[in-house]
Amino acid sequence: MLSALRNPRQAASQIITFGLILSTAFMMWKGLSVIADSPSPIVVVLSGSMEPAFQRGDLLFLWNRNFFEETKVGEIVVYNVKGKDIPIVHRVVRKFGTGSEAQLLTKGDNNVADDTELYARGQDYLERQDIIGSVVGYIPFVGYVTIMLSEHPWLKTVALGIMGLTAILQRE
Amino acid sequence: MHSTITRAQNIFGFFTTVLFVLGAIIASTDFLAPRTPSADVFVKDIQVVRGRPHYYSTKKEEYASIRFSLSADFSSLFNWNTKQIFVWVSATWPEPSASNKSIHTNEAVIWDTIITSPSSDHLQNIGPVAMKKLIKSAKGKSIDPSRGKIELRNQKPKYQITAPSGKLAELDDVLLKVHYNIQPWVGILTWTQQVEFWNWKVIEGGVSKIFKLPALKKKDEKKDEKKKTTKKAT
Repeated sequence: MLSALRNPRQAASQIITFGLILSTAFMMWKGLSVIADSPSPIVVVLSGSMEPAFQRGDLLFLWNRNFFEETKVGEIVVYNVKGKDIPIVHRVVRKFGTGSEAQLLTKGDNNVADDTELYARGQDYLERQDIIGSVVGYIPFVGYVTIMLSEHPWLKTVALGIMGLTAILQRE
Repeated sequence: MHSTITRAQNIFGFFTTVLFVLGAIIASTDFLAPRTPSADVFVKDIQVVRGRPHYYSTKKEEYASIRFSLSADFSSLFNWNTKQIFVWVSATWPEPSASNKSIHTNEAVIWDTIITSPSSDHLQNIGPVAMKKLIKSAKGKSIDPSRGKIELRNQKPKYQITAPSGKLAELDDVLLKVHYNIQPWVGILTWTQQVEFWNWKVIEGGVSKIFKLPALKKKDEKKDEKKKTTKKAT
């Protein structure tokens, strides 16, 4: 097992392979981001406010371009509230006006009331620019790993450690 | 070459590949199932009253409450990959100042419902009695298209609508539209179609006649039209 450590040339090549895997993943993510025109083209559902459609840990694919029509009522959008860092996945239930100045109101299917309370102080409606994408595709449960990782941060260290070790210690 | 780690890696890799291919196949079967949705929607009684957006607000706005009747058949939208369909009725209207009244730039949902497949009944957020009844209604069935049939007579709206301007009384060229959104177990989400797509037909009907909102209802201090203040966050 430890022979790789005795052979620096091989060790270096293992590290490069490991780096290559990481950078490929990063490039795929950024590539998807460019195609979908969204800073975060894949999101993991964090709350149960859209149940039963989406559960915690489900994976959503976003699309943030308006080729044929504008973002409209009924679409499930992911938006960021000014000053808050958590993206929220809810459905558009009202839209007044058109274009970038259209006023949009959202609501979670599983919530009793609309999102006015969730918005920033003094903000009654969302604008198109607050939205980072509309949900177009769905894979259940796969994203639960990330919830585990963020709720138990030590898992990250362990996972990275195992990945690094296997990449370095592995022969060929 | 044949270490435990490589074996574990190979198994895991194969497992995920199989899982994704299977998911893709299941998702693509959606395209094989024909969709022939239809809906008829009629406006019944409309009231426009003045009210406040919430208890502590000093702003007065006009709220429209539109009663309607809906007769819809969405049974063809259910197949083995359907998790739920979300059905809603929305009111649309053009900007009063706009010259072209056929372009409806404003839209607000007045009523919606979630129809689950029997396979996702347990995920619904309803009381234990209603849940028992719902599960019992489709016992032994994995798909229950009969749930896609909706008959509503003189239905009270779930949401009273308002506009940013706060003015709604005597608004003209208003329409009710029926929409749906199909949520799959895996794959792409689909909405009410604008164009026919192979096996998937455009919704038949689904639009009401053009109507006009009535004048403001004159009554001494309406107290019961306040919007609910209890709000539930995510």
